[in-house]
Amino acid sequence: MYGWIWRHLPGNAYVRALLSLVLALGVVYVLFQYVFPWAEPLLPFNDVTVDDGGESGVG
Amino acid sequence: MAEHGRDVEDGEPSATPDPQKDTPAEEAADTAEIPGSAATTEPESDPEPKPESEPESEPESEPETDAPAATPPRRTSRTRGTLAVIVSGFGELLITAGVILALFVVYSLWWTNVVANREADRKSEKVRDNWARDRGGSEGPGERALKEGIGFLRVPSMSDDDILVTKGTATKELNHGTAGYYTKPVKSALPWDQSGNFALAAHRDGHGAKFHDIDKIEKGDPVVFETKNTWYVYKVYKTLPKTSKYNVDVLKEIPEVSGKKEAGRYITLTTCTPVYTSKHRYIVWGELVRTESVDAERTLPKEIR
Repeated sequence: MYGWIWRHLPGNAYVRALLSLVLALGVVYVLFQYVFPWAEPLLPFNDVTVDDGGESGVG
Repeated sequence: MAEHGRDVEDGEPSATPDPQKDTPAEEAADTAEIPGSAATTEPESDPEPKPESEPESEPESEPETDAPAATPPRRTSRTRGTLAVIVSGFGELLITAGVILALFVVYSLWWTNVVANREADRKSEKVRDNWARDRGGSEGPGERALKEGIGFLRVPSMSDDDILVTKGTATKELNHGTAGYYTKPVKSALPWDQSGNFALAAHRDGHGAKFHDIDKIEKGDPVVFETKNTWYVYKVYKTLPKTSKYNVDVLKEIPEVSGKKEAGRYITLTTCTPVYTSKHRYIVWGELVRTESVDAERTLPKEIR
């Protein structure tokens, strides 16, 4: 997968390394900005309130 | 990731020498394949040329036997190639999954704090601006200020921050790096009410982690709530390090769980415990000791000075 991406990047090794870095940062951005905030409420790590169990997602 | 790419790139030209130092199991599978493929090709080609031209085929048989010997390695290297692609692809997926999980930990324990604290600072500043603007106005926080936040919680034994308190304890609200007062399942009293329980919740980890060090609070510690014109000084009289997350009784107007029987002006802090999980709840109760008017310099009450 990563080899395939590497082979399809243009330029020499330095340009490819730079582009890979940019791609990696882009992926991290998407994860932090969209994927993790979406996934977080689905995971049981951040509920801090007491409740009667009727309402989930109260945290 | 650039490194991954480089690794695989390097692996590409060395794909031919690679199979030679493959695992024994794989090699065994390959050697088992060679006789199999030779057996399928030879009997098919051999019986036909034999009756036609036996003497002629003999000199040719040598290159012929060479040829099947030459083709199987090419075939096995191809199967090895696809196998290598599948295995390395699977490995890359596993590595990627691991990196994503590690990033999620970084996200929840660090990045959410960065975002939440930034937001909490912005909101706090807004509240303080409103207070400064309405200075000398009506008693209690004005309606506009109530929307932004009703005041600040100061618990020196837990945190150096002044924690903005806003309405509601929904995840969305608490994720702003603030504490919230309960609206459900129990409607919290507010500090200026004549009696009742001012019940708060905030995050233990991530999203500002405002109540992270709640376990540092001990009996007798001061808990101060600051509004525009008044300091409400509470004193902690009981902590409950672990209770069920369904124990809504802790929020009661008269928190009998804490041993109180009479109506009074109480404060209750709730968060999750143990740290990094949401298994149980940690509760701290305090009772109002006194109130003090805020002076022009907003001098802190002597309990937390």
